[in-house]
Formats: sequence, structure tokens, C-alpha cells
Amino acid sequence: MLIKKITYTNRRLHIHIGLFLVLFIWLFSVSGLLLNHSDWKFASFWEERKQNIKVTPINIPPGLDSIQIIKNMLLQLKISGEVNNVKLTADSIDFSISYPGHVNNIHADFKKSIYIQNEFSYNIWGKLRNLHTFNGANRNNPSLQPNWLLTRVWRFSMDAIAIGLIFLSFSSWMMWYKIRKDYSWGYLTLIAGFAIAIYFVFLLRW
Amino acid sequence: MKKYYPSVRTIHLYVGLFISPIVLIFSISALVLNHTDYINRTNPIKKLPDIKTSIDKIPYDTTDLQTAKGIIKKLRIKGEIDYVSQNDSQISFPVILPGLTTKIKINKQTNEVLITRIEEGSLRATNFLHKMPGPHNVKIRGNSLFMQNWRMIADMVVYLLLFLSASGVFLWYFLKAERKLGWIVIILGAISFTGLLLFLLR
Repeated sequence: MLIKKITYTNRRLHIHIGLFLVLFIWLFSVSGLLLNHSDWKFASFWEERKQNIKVTPINIPPGLDSIQIIKNMLLQLKISGEVNNVKLTADSIDFSISYPGHVNNIHADFKKSIYIQNEFSYNIWGKLRNLHTFNGANRNNPSLQPNWLLTRVWRFSMDAIAIGLIFLSFSSWMMWYKIRKDYSWGYLTLIAGFAIAIYFVFLLRW
Repeated sequence: MKKYYPSVRTIHLYVGLFISPIVLIFSISALVLNHTDYINRTNPIKKLPDIKTSIDKIPYDTTDLQTAKGIIKKLRIKGEIDYVSQNDSQISFPVILPGLTTKIKINKQTNEVLITRIEEGSLRATNFLHKMPGPHNVKIRGNSLFMQNWRMIADMVVYLLLFLSASGVFLWYFLKAERKLGWIVIILGAISFTGLLLFLLR
């Protein structure tokens, strides 16, 4: 009775989690293909980027640390996004602020009281590529967590999609196991899939 | 359309079973990529002992990649050459297999070779596979047989995943008992998806 209930629930969850994730799966599938096929001419984004350089006066109160300076500047500039690559010197601060499809490299000169924005905007293909990799991870300092709320939300969504896909894989095995006698080729296909995965993850380096 | 239901169901089942272990690689690695800090703390990389050796007749008169390929052939090291860095005095390049990075540095004057290896473990192996072949170093990417194969597998998995999700929607549509809840779930998924993208892309 319990097994029957688990099997029934598993099947329903497989269907409904799959349906919930369908648009996310399409997004990550298409963007994954774009990342692996930079040579696809129709999907070029870097050549089509829009660049805008702005120089504007800015007022930075003295005695602030780098985080306070950036917060102050973002408030004055009315921009938001994931802040990266912060470099603070006595006379200036450099950082970039980004969200998918958009990067703004900012240089603020404290002595001249100006800031220079070097802004890049990408087309839809660039945005899709960015969405695939936009997790706020810092290569140089992995201990740094995302500093923008939406990056955290998006990263959480990526985690949820990954966990959803793991569940869909496990639940598919359970569903097939119940009807394995009618679908005996399932043994072969599952073993073939596992053989490929084990070869690449575990065996290749030995 | 309903006449296709049994065959679509059979194909959905077999394709799903076949790609499910590889989908696990992509899913687990997505979690690893999002939580590198946690992985670094719980699963530290292991540096293997350095190897010092020498090599003769390095073919410098060809491309950097061919030179590096010639060198790893002589040293009997297998893997994907990530990039090649060369100046007047030395040539160096990493050779990567999922979970193992080998760095080779050769003194051009003395032909002395320093080989350093880092054992990165299976989780980082999934991480590497997830990012490969990727958008970087496109001109030299796929210089090893395993990477050529992985490139094909990664593409195939994506196309099959697209097929699985489309055929899944098709199969659901004919399940009358699940139709109402299914619509609600699809709409909720679409709202989450468009809501997130609207905020993120502005």
C-alpha cells in the first residue's frame, strides 16, 4: 500500500515538477548551446554590443570605506546590480556593476570629483548567455557571496532547477523500475548513460 | 494526435533513462558552481608531488598548440590543452582531464621540464565538464579526443533534453486527471520565469 502511494506521488511529482521547470529548462538548454557554439553567426553578441561612455560630476563624502563609497555612488547614480572587481586607491575607486546583458565599468576620481561610466549593453543572445552564468561567483575570491538581492534570487532559482532535475532523474528511474518488464531496453539505455557519466567523471583521469 | 501517445511515451522513457546520468552531471555541477566556497571547504584540492624531467627536440617551428601537443605526447600525458603561454625563455601550459590539472613548464634553454599536478576530485570534475567546451579559447578547444567526444555528448544531451521537455508536455496533455493541476503548475512556472527575467533584464 505504502509503495503504491509512493509510486503514485512520485509519478505526479515527476509530471508537475517537469511542467513547472519547462521554461527554465528551455532557457538553460538554449543558453548552454549558445555558450558552446560561440561561432554561431546569428547569435553573435559582442560585435553587436552598444557602448556608452559618460563622464559626470559626483560628490563623495570623505572618510568612507570602499563599501560605503560604492553604496553612496550607486544611490547617486540610481543604478543597481552585482558589484565586482573593486579596486580602491587613495585617489580613486574602480568597480564594475552588472546584470544579465549589461556591464557598467565605473571609475571615480576623488580629486577631480568625477566618475566615468563605460557601459556595455548586449543583445538578446548576450543576455541569454549571461543568464546562464550569472551567479555572483567571484573567481578570485570564492568566499565572496553575491552582493545584489536579484543575483541571490537567481542563484537560488538555479539551485532549485538543479535539484528539480536531480529529482526528475531519480523519479524517472523509479517510474521505469515499476514497468521494467515491459520496457526491458531500459536496462541497456540506463547502463549506457551511466557508463558515459562514470567514464568522464571518474575514469578519465586514472 | 493521441495515436502518437504510446510511441512518444516509449521514446520519452528510453531517452530520459539514457540521458538522466548525464543530466545529473550538469545538475550537480550547477550546485557546485553556485557554492564553490562550500566545496572548497569540504573538498580541498590535493597537490600531487612535482615531477622534474627533461625533454629533447621540441618542435618550436610550428603553432603553439602543435608544440604543446608534441610535448605532451613525448611526456605521455593525456588531456585537453587549456591554453599555451610562451616567451623567449619558457613555454608553459595546463593539460586538463576532468578532476586532474597538470601544469607543464619547460625551460627552452635547458629543456628541463617541471610537471605539477592538482587532483581536484569528482565534484570539480563535473564542474569542468559543465563548462566545457564553453566560449573561451575556442580556436584551440577540442584538441583532445575526450573533449571532442564530450562536445558531442553535451550537445546531444541538450537537444534530447529539449525533446524530453516538449514530449513531456505532450504526454501530460493527454492525462485528463492531471490536466487541471498541470495548467496551474505551468502558469505558476511561467509567472516565476517571466517575473524573474523581467526583474533581471529590466
